[in-house]
Amino acid sequence: MSDLLFFTEVTLAGLGAGALLSLTALAFVLIYKATRVINLAVGEIVMLGAYLFFAFAAGLGLPAWVAIVLSIAGGGLVGAILERGLIRPMLGENPISVFMVTIGIGSVVVGLVELLWGTEPRALPAFLGNQPIFLGEAYVSRKIAIAFLVSAVVIAGFVLLFRFWRGGVALRATASDQAAAYSCGINVPGVFSVAWIIGCATAAGAGILLGSIGGISPAMGVFGLSALVVVIVGGLDSIAGALIGGLLIGVFEAWAGTYLGGEYKIVTTFGILIAMLMIRPYGLFGTTEIERL
Amino acid sequence: MMKFSRRLVLAVSTALTLSLGASLPALSADEIVIAGSLPLTGMFGFAGVGVEAGIQDYVKMINEEGGIAGRQLRFVYEDTAYKVDASVAAFNKLNSQEEIHFYYGDSTGFAKTINPELNRMGSILMAGTSYASELNDPATYPFQFMAGPDYTEMTGILLEYIAKEKPGAKIVLVNSDTEFGRDPIAGTKARAQELGLEIVEEIITPPTAVDVSTEVLKLRRARPDYAIFHGYLLAPIPEFMSQAKQLGLDTKFMGTFWSMDPGSWAKVGDVANGYMGVMPYRYADDEADDAPMLDRIRQMRPDYRSTPYMQGFLTAMLFSEAAKRTLEAGKELNGENLKAALNTIKDFDTGGIIGKPITISGNSIPVGRIYTYNAATQKMDPASDWISLQE
Amino acid sequence: MLIGTAKHSYRADEALLTTSPQRLWMAILLIALALAPLALDNYWLYLACLVSINVASATGLNILTGFTGLVSIGQAAFMAVGAYTVAVLEARTGLPFLVNLVVGGAVAACVGLVVGLPSLRVKGLYLAIATIAASFILHFVFVNWQSVTNGNSGINVTPASLFGVELTDYVHLYYVFVPITALMVLGAANLFRTRIGRAFIAIRDRDISAEVLGISLLRYKLLSFAVSSFYAGVAGGMWAYFFRVVTPESFPFIYSIFFLAAIIVGGMGTILGGVVGAVFMTLVPELLRFAVEWLTTIFPNAVTALSPIRTIVFGALIIGFLIAEPKGLAEIIQRIRRFFHLWPFRK
Repeated sequence: MSDLLFFTEVTLAGLGAGALLSLTALAFVLIYKATRVINLAVGEIVMLGAYLFFAFAAGLGLPAWVAIVLSIAGGGLVGAILERGLIRPMLGENPISVFMVTIGIGSVVVGLVELLWGTEPRALPAFLGNQPIFLGEAYVSRKIAIAFLVSAVVIAGFVLLFRFWRGGVALRATASDQAAAYSCGINVPGVFSVAWIIGCATAAGAGILLGSIGGISPAMGVFGLSALVVVIVGGLDSIAGALIGGLLIGVFEAWAGTYLGGEYKIVTTFGILIAMLMIRPYGLFGTTEIERL
Repeated sequence: MMKFSRRLVLAVSTALTLSLGASLPALSADEIVIAGSLPLTGMFGFAGVGVEAGIQDYVKMINEEGGIAGRQLRFVYEDTAYKVDASVAAFNKLNSQEEIHFYYGDSTGFAKTINPELNRMGSILMAGTSYASELNDPATYPFQFMAGPDYTEMTGILLEYIAKEKPGAKIVLVNSDTEFGRDPIAGTKARAQELGLEIVEEIITPPTAVDVSTEVLKLRRARPDYAIFHGYLLAPIPEFMSQAKQLGLDTKFMGTFWSMDPGSWAKVGDVANGYMGVMPYRYADDEADDAPMLDRIRQMRPDYRSTPYMQGFLTAMLFSEAAKRTLEAGKELNGENLKAALNTIKDFDTGGIIGKPITISGNSIPVGRIYTYNAATQKMDPASDWISLQE
Repeated sequence: MLIGTAKHSYRADEALLTTSPQRLWMAILLIALALAPLALDNYWLYLACLVSINVASATGLNILTGFTGLVSIGQAAFMAVGAYTVAVLEARTGLPFLVNLVVGGAVAACVGLVVGLPSLRVKGLYLAIATIAASFILHFVFVNWQSVTNGNSGINVTPASLFGVELTDYVHLYYVFVPITALMVLGAANLFRTRIGRAFIAIRDRDISAEVLGISLLRYKLLSFAVSSFYAGVAGGMWAYFFRVVTPESFPFIYSIFFLAAIIVGGMGTILGGVVGAVFMTLVPELLRFAVEWLTTIFPNAVTALSPIRTIVFGALIIGFLIAEPKGLAEIIQRIRRFFHLWPFRK
């Protein structure tokens, strides 16, 4: 087998894994764009989504597509509750405090999942099939290919929504200037709620994909940290940034893992992050914030 | 408002004192105490739960038979969630409440952390969930042992089997990037060379790895006859196996003790078929003729089949045996005497838990057997005879 | 009732303890700390030592985050640097352990300087994330710098010895750790009576304004990182002598979050807050252990719920304090103090 083919396969695998990162990063971006909150609990919502799917599909024995819809809706509901109950009271506080609240939320979610479902790792019911896929001669894992397609569709969907849907435009307006959005009659608190609902629903969906690839456990929320790196690299308020950042990190991780060794994966990711912070602190596509006295 | 607060404080402190007092069980000089830091929750929860049941059952059995030289066994433990600091806290708490003779530790980190304290106290003999190669050193760890082969010995048994089945086989090592995962790498490579086996690739997976596609690609490029996994409970081995199957690889997948629980594999489904690994104990549903102890276990736990259970059960048996031999020699129950008594165990019959009489000359029992998972029956079938590295 | 305090000099105004009840309470506290080992069994002494280590590290983080406004989620990684330094020095040089602790702190401070570099370019959340990245990169170094750190299996530390006594008993360690921590806390309190401390506070309140006032951001931000990491390094050194084995897994990422949570719960930007927060957050999980033990009399299976309950309580404390009492336990203590000040004239 030629080295070039091997390189292509590794790169494809990296793109697939990167698409999952993009999808999770999207949850960060949606929430940050509208509310200026970095929600560190995204990783835990991802985990919760996977467990909800587990409960619906394995516990109640519902068909996979019903379980998927229900878990995504469940993620959205959790988002709504969190926003209304814990984030809204923090409005106007120091962003660091809000950030810490989301860390607290993450911890509570982990504890609740451990109480409800126990701590041992589990496998999700298989619903993606296992016929291998070949692009030309190059092998692609089926699950990864599906994850890639789903992520691509979802991200494309969001781009269109922001362009043409009223709510999407309202969200963009809120993102660019809250006060102005208010005075134009946009229901800003409503936009906040919607952003959290959509963001958490997206995270829950990402969780189902993630769980079906690598199994589920209460500790799988650490995936959120990799996604956080993606949004910093791509720019906190840019959907395109999430997409490109995710693919970039995915590919670099795959190369590092293959040619340097698995232990270099995490350090590569965070190395890119540090380099990015030093060169372009607001990311590839992020809006530069200008401070005035 | 403050008055109320003060009253409240008083009430709370009284309640606390009472509950503290209540939680101190009566000390009895006649009892032999096994204490433990058990990982009942956390990522290693399945091990703690099984071990707890195993030790509990053996203690019950011995006590019903009248104890050891008339002294009853008692088992006390705390949950640690597999965290070293929580485990040390539990150790200190139990030690301040009880006079402990045996301790069951929950991790390699704990075993190493508590070792200086064990050496200083000199009153406790300890075993635990860890089979770390480093602990298999009586000079540094005089008051510890493990109820089975250490991790290097486990892969050694696998290599022994491979060398017999397919001399000169090509092997890939897959290890997680943790202390647990990296433990046997050096020893395995050295042993493979001695046996004329070829290690064609070493794959390290990050502990948080979700997707293993790139690792599978590496595995395919190496095209090994065997892949030996170590440092995992289950994931990501099933994903490796399913992708390897898709790719038409005929590699045999092997693992070590902690990934040999048929209950966990049953949830994976057909993909798991043919997974092999080294197991130091018989499974509870093994109906071999020379295993009376397994009949007892099946009576006590009709449908319980976890591997940590067997480990806990055997550990408790060895604890008891050490205590029995020490008391028979008329010696005091302390770390040194207990360890010396443990090391007198020679050609000891475990009642069939291990299919071969065992001898404990150091800190480990380097005996094991290769089993293959059968997805149709959801059982592990023996694939070899018992292999001992002592000869 | 205390009516008022008339101060005749700036010295009196700047004093750490300004009223006689304060001095009295401080004296009582010191005596209690000195005599505590007589009343505590080994388990509580173990916790007391752990509390002391955590107080030292949390106070360091408070200097950086509470007083300078630079959020760091890497405190545990700096502790690890200190712990590794101490372990290596102990194994290879045989220097006295107090020297090792100081060197451990110094090395951690140097690493802190490097990690602090992004703080010149980014702040707020971006900086917090840069410290996360730094802690993962440090973890990688600990695992892979085999020749120094002995990789995954880590380094065993021989016990510290002072005046020929091996410090293995928790009582001995207690009498070494608590004075060191007390000195460190005192040092932190004094820091904020100097120009440096005031510069830190100015940077926290508005860094651009501080720069306009002639405070060099480069110098003071990095200095704050260095001081904070020094504290972490010394605390990590004590940790190494306490647990006597240092591995890359000894200082997990969650431990960094623990320190941030401790200063939030205790109260950011007050010395008292860092101390109280660390004590509180270290003891709560242990008290929960007793609560759960008591629960087992009703629900026999409660033991398996301990760890999830601890995780939930940990998160809930962070959320609860941030929403309901953002100034933390220190503020509650102040309120109680005010109550006694004004008693009996105000309900």
